[in-house]
Amino acid sequence: MEAKQKKKIKISLCLPTLNEERTIAKEIVIMKSELMNRFPLIDEIVVVDSGSTDRTREAAEAYGARFYSAADILPDMEHFRGKGENLWKGLYITQGDIIIYLDADIKNIHHRFAYGLLGPLLLTDHIKYVKAFYDRPIAVGKNKMRSTGGGRVTELVIRPLFALFFPELTQIIQPLSGEYASYRDILEKIPFPIGYGVETSMILDIYTKWGLEVIGQTDLDRRVHRNQSTQALGRMAFVIIKTFINRKAKLGLIDLKKKMFDEMIQYNLVENEYRPVPFKMEGLERPPMVEVPAYTEKFAREN
Amino acid sequence: MRTYLENLPEYAHAIKAFKETVITNVVLLGQEPAPTFKEKAKSQLFLDRLSDFGVDECTIDGYQNPIGIIRGTAKDKPPIFVVAHMDTAVKKDVNHNFVVNGEMITGAGIMDNSVGVGVLASLPFIFKSLDLRFESDIVLAGVVQSIGRGNLRGIRHLLKTWSTPVRGAVCIEGGELGRLNYSSYGMIRGEIECSIPMESGFEPQFKPNAILILNEVINQILQLSLPQRPRSRVIIGKIYGGYKHGLIAHDGTLGFEIQSDSDSMVKTIYNDIQDIVSGTGHESRVDLRLNTISSLHASSIGYAHPLVKSAVAAMRRLDLKPVSEPSESELSIFLAHKIPAVTLGVTRGKDYHLEAATMEIEPMFRGIAQILGVILAIDNGVCDDV
Repeated sequence: MEAKQKKKIKISLCLPTLNEERTIAKEIVIMKSELMNRFPLIDEIVVVDSGSTDRTREAAEAYGARFYSAADILPDMEHFRGKGENLWKGLYITQGDIIIYLDADIKNIHHRFAYGLLGPLLLTDHIKYVKAFYDRPIAVGKNKMRSTGGGRVTELVIRPLFALFFPELTQIIQPLSGEYASYRDILEKIPFPIGYGVETSMILDIYTKWGLEVIGQTDLDRRVHRNQSTQALGRMAFVIIKTFINRKAKLGLIDLKKKMFDEMIQYNLVENEYRPVPFKMEGLERPPMVEVPAYTEKFAREN
Repeated sequence: MRTYLENLPEYAHAIKAFKETVITNVVLLGQEPAPTFKEKAKSQLFLDRLSDFGVDECTIDGYQNPIGIIRGTAKDKPPIFVVAHMDTAVKKDVNHNFVVNGEMITGAGIMDNSVGVGVLASLPFIFKSLDLRFESDIVLAGVVQSIGRGNLRGIRHLLKTWSTPVRGAVCIEGGELGRLNYSSYGMIRGEIECSIPMESGFEPQFKPNAILILNEVINQILQLSLPQRPRSRVIIGKIYGGYKHGLIAHDGTLGFEIQSDSDSMVKTIYNDIQDIVSGTGHESRVDLRLNTISSLHASSIGYAHPLVKSAVAAMRRLDLKPVSEPSESELSIFLAHKIPAVTLGVTRGKDYHLEAATMEIEPMFRGIAQILGVILAIDNGVCDDV
């Protein structure tokens, strides 16, 4: 708190949501109690939602968070649905000089998830972006947990890719973790893919623009969350690989002879018949926020 | 000048204004598994929370009971105890992640007794926020090894080793709001174990069946004549045994509890059950044993005690209707030590002992205000010179 006061800055907590009625209220309650009411470290809690059809909005507002539908932010621009879109629009709607992003599906939420990310940013001048790592237990059976596991897309996709092309980045223990915090003047200068690829692109962009020394990582001990199906992880992997290759091409590190395809087909076995399930991802991304006139006007930034 | 009783509705309203902190304590402490005999992590967390809230002294006693002491303003007044049992009946590997919404919290063990422990941990913050100071030291004790086989060991040890007189006590239980216990049953909790040794080689097809023998024991217990006065009953609470559907059960265990307003009646019924067990074991030629798990003496401070009257007044001031029945919680041990005490329920809930146990948030604020009312009553001297 002392470091925050010394820096005279504001801190925002931004939670991207899509149907998170079972976990969102608990996250807000604990953060508000511990890091707003008892120790005023966070100045605002903002929820940016992709169009939940459950009671996410009611649960968030019950404990005083500001809730926004992503479609209502920057309404003059074309609207897309995705986590990256919510994070990007969160930049516009929040006030803080530091923005903490936390996934909204953390079952064992604790205020360390926020203060753990803030510590390196507030106490170490050269750190501008902090990423979380933790043990990820997986659910086995209805109500039982196994103490290790999870992080499958990290180990099967992104770590091998980093090892092959950016070996320095393999020092980041969980590059795909959904919990990170950064100074606004970093986040506003990088583009945001609208979907799952946002974590991958964020690391690559920050690394290539400012170097590894601005990136910190912090141990948050343990994170329990909803485990996704293998097919869902497959779709996530598709998006991440595509984002990664696009970034490499954009940075001039590889030469793509042909545009990549946007569609992947998965198969479901239904009544002894394999049925194709197409999944499309166009690889859309938002420009750096400093290039959006409404933003530069609101935050008095020079483009 | 307004009396503390007049202030209680305003306290309830004020507590609601910082509901996030109370809910946070309930959730953080409740999500830490604490089956009986395995409360260590939860005890440490409880102590950490008390320390975070600036409690004057925080310690863990020789029995692992976590204790916080808020120093009072008068050195000559004995302390007031506020206790809640730390342990739950939920196994460690069950999912303990709670779900919160605007009206309710759902999670294993929430009503028995995570909400009680969460409220206990919130009291220092609540006292400070409402600017409440007390003459007596306030001893906030999370007591371990309370339920089932724990046999109230934590509170027994705490009071046995506490060196000064105690002015009065409040025991906090999750539910139900309106609960006001000031007496405890005489009680013996026991288990009847039946085991039939396996023989090597071929076994006879018609050998005794442990489950059927326990069934016979149950039938005989149900035939016991129990008096209406003193009120007495035998609860058959647990039964388990056997190996698989097509095999005669070689073992079985029956858990029961005798409860009565009279200690001598408890003893009489216990002796009757002992006779049933001995006779059935002898006639069936099996190994049938009666083991005592725990026992309590019947005791009461009576409805006319000023502490009970003050508790009733506090509850009525908050539009709560007191419901009184004998209890067998920590209260029994306070009363056995001649310490005036009551047990209060914090809120309303359902499915207490299921994994999806649920508590209501809104009633909790009046539940906490009534606890403040009773602590203030004790601090004003209702238990002194009685």
